[in-house]
Amino acid sequence: MFRRILVANRGEIALRILRACREMGLETVCVFSEEDRGSRYLDYADRAICIGAASPAESYLKSDRIIAAAEVANADAIHPGYGFLAENADFAEKCRSSKVEFIGPSADSMRLLGDKAQARTLARRCKVPTIPGTDRLDEELDEKELVDLAEKIGFPLMVKASAGGGGRGMRIVRSPDELAPALRMARQEAEAAFKDRGVYLEKYIEHPRHVEVQILGDQQGGVIHLHERDCTLQRRYQKLIEETPAPSIDARTREGLCKSAVRLAKAAKYFSAGTVEFLVDERGRYYFIETNTRVQVEHPVTEMATGVDIIKAQLTIAAGQPLAYHQRDIRPRGAAMECRLNAEDPSNGFRPSAGLIERFEAPGGFGVRVETHIHDGYRVSPRYDSLIGKLIVHQPDRTEAIRCMRRCLREIVISPIKTTIPLFQQIFEHEAFVAGKIDTGFLDRHMKDNGELTSD
Amino acid sequence: MTENDLSEISLRDGSEEINLKRCSSNATPAMAGLPSITHPVPLPATALPPVGAHAAEPAPAETEADSAPDAQTGVTTDEGLAAIRSPMVGTFYSSPNPDAPPFVQVGSTVDADTVICIVEAMKVFNEIKAEVCGSIERIVVADQEPIEYGQELFLVRPSS
Repeated sequence: MFRRILVANRGEIALRILRACREMGLETVCVFSEEDRGSRYLDYADRAICIGAASPAESYLKSDRIIAAAEVANADAIHPGYGFLAENADFAEKCRSSKVEFIGPSADSMRLLGDKAQARTLARRCKVPTIPGTDRLDEELDEKELVDLAEKIGFPLMVKASAGGGGRGMRIVRSPDELAPALRMARQEAEAAFKDRGVYLEKYIEHPRHVEVQILGDQQGGVIHLHERDCTLQRRYQKLIEETPAPSIDARTREGLCKSAVRLAKAAKYFSAGTVEFLVDERGRYYFIETNTRVQVEHPVTEMATGVDIIKAQLTIAAGQPLAYHQRDIRPRGAAMECRLNAEDPSNGFRPSAGLIERFEAPGGFGVRVETHIHDGYRVSPRYDSLIGKLIVHQPDRTEAIRCMRRCLREIVISPIKTTIPLFQQIFEHEAFVAGKIDTGFLDRHMKDNGELTSD
Repeated sequence: MTENDLSEISLRDGSEEINLKRCSSNATPAMAGLPSITHPVPLPATALPPVGAHAAEPAPAETEADSAPDAQTGVTTDEGLAAIRSPMVGTFYSSPNPDAPPFVQVGSTVDADTVICIVEAMKVFNEIKAEVCGSIERIVVADQEPIEYGQELFLVRPSS
């Protein structure tokens, strides 16, 4: 087992990792930028080392300084958290060649699964369903050939820019005669936005749910899943609420998703924590979209339901130990839900709301978990992600979990900065969300500019 | 340990472990001022410190220091001295090699291009330049001391 861990991250996830290390009797070093100097969570570490100026590019993304900090502190492993360098295969490689273990998967599996095209190919080989689609379209194809391709995929479909991503460069096509004009426009837009005319076709999944599977692998080749999370409540492709079990999917879909995720991870020789993401359509058909080769923001949801400490599991796996659980040992109980607390003003276009937190009061009670680094007197910086904490509840069933979350959302105080709490208060009263019948477009359809939710 | 120039070793035999750390004989111990590594700092007391005690005072968003890769150099202290700060994380060396004399001493004159020390990281030795004109008033860190980004290395009396 390691002796000393370096935490290469900040805020709530840094604190989460520091706590786990402390419980395991591991010494800790935490890096920080000038902006985070003096933050109280740094006191949890045995030692803290400044690695640069405020901007992430000058600090939390400086691989060499982080590894140098591990060297001067004699740390034997680095935990990258999420974001920053967590999915940077070059960084993982540099750590290991500097004789500092990287707490995460191998650089090779990170590269393989991090490349969407390669991941899709691997998925198809493992008989994991992927979204029907083409590769980059040959510009020489004539209209008939294009319509043939489109009909094989099925309408509605999307024309997507090869160089696009995160929702940009996409057009919906609902019938064959819309195809040619859509392709023309899409190519023009792609050229202008990305300097790349490449486009491809992909089936458009209407009203999808986003369901992902948490997996855990060891360096001996063992892989298990910790069941799924539903992360459908999103705004512009950013998750706001996550829960388990996923409402409105049947047992067969659930089993298919989980088994597919394990097959894919095994094929990629994946170890450590990871997540396999799927879209599920209205008929319960699921399609692999991508994998996240890191521990995720929403990992506490799975921890509450399964009783597995995912951060500690990452540490023991990285130290070379085999998985402590067989698949049959994973028996989730009850329902867990998480709200991501962001320092943003939902009544003002989600404008970031940085500044001094004069008053912070965490809710408490049975089945309530708060993961945050904030406190009375903490100053939220405008330099970093607006996620300032997570509110998680775990109850015997979803109805009780919703009641508990409603109560916690009234009890929690973060002031005077603006947060997304008022939005969550509305969502947890909305009939569609409470019924478990939303899709990824729900919020974008129901939110008014002033931050109010319209009912169905 | 002295023979092999080791500053820290760790020996493990089954469930028993010994950690040995050597202090440099002629300077403050390498870990001076930092909490002892083998005794974790106790958890913060339940009484909260006064508001603002831990508030990270943000640097003004527009400081040039944020866009330039170098640490802030030339920030004057109360005595009118300029501090030379480390632009990187690593180990400080006052001489080009163990047998040579130090790059500078108290009283040495420096200009912008004078190499004043080496900071080593990941087996790469980086020469650090003064970037200020004046004379060395104080050497703040010790040879072979581990240093962090922004740490004060030298205090210089500026010539202008």
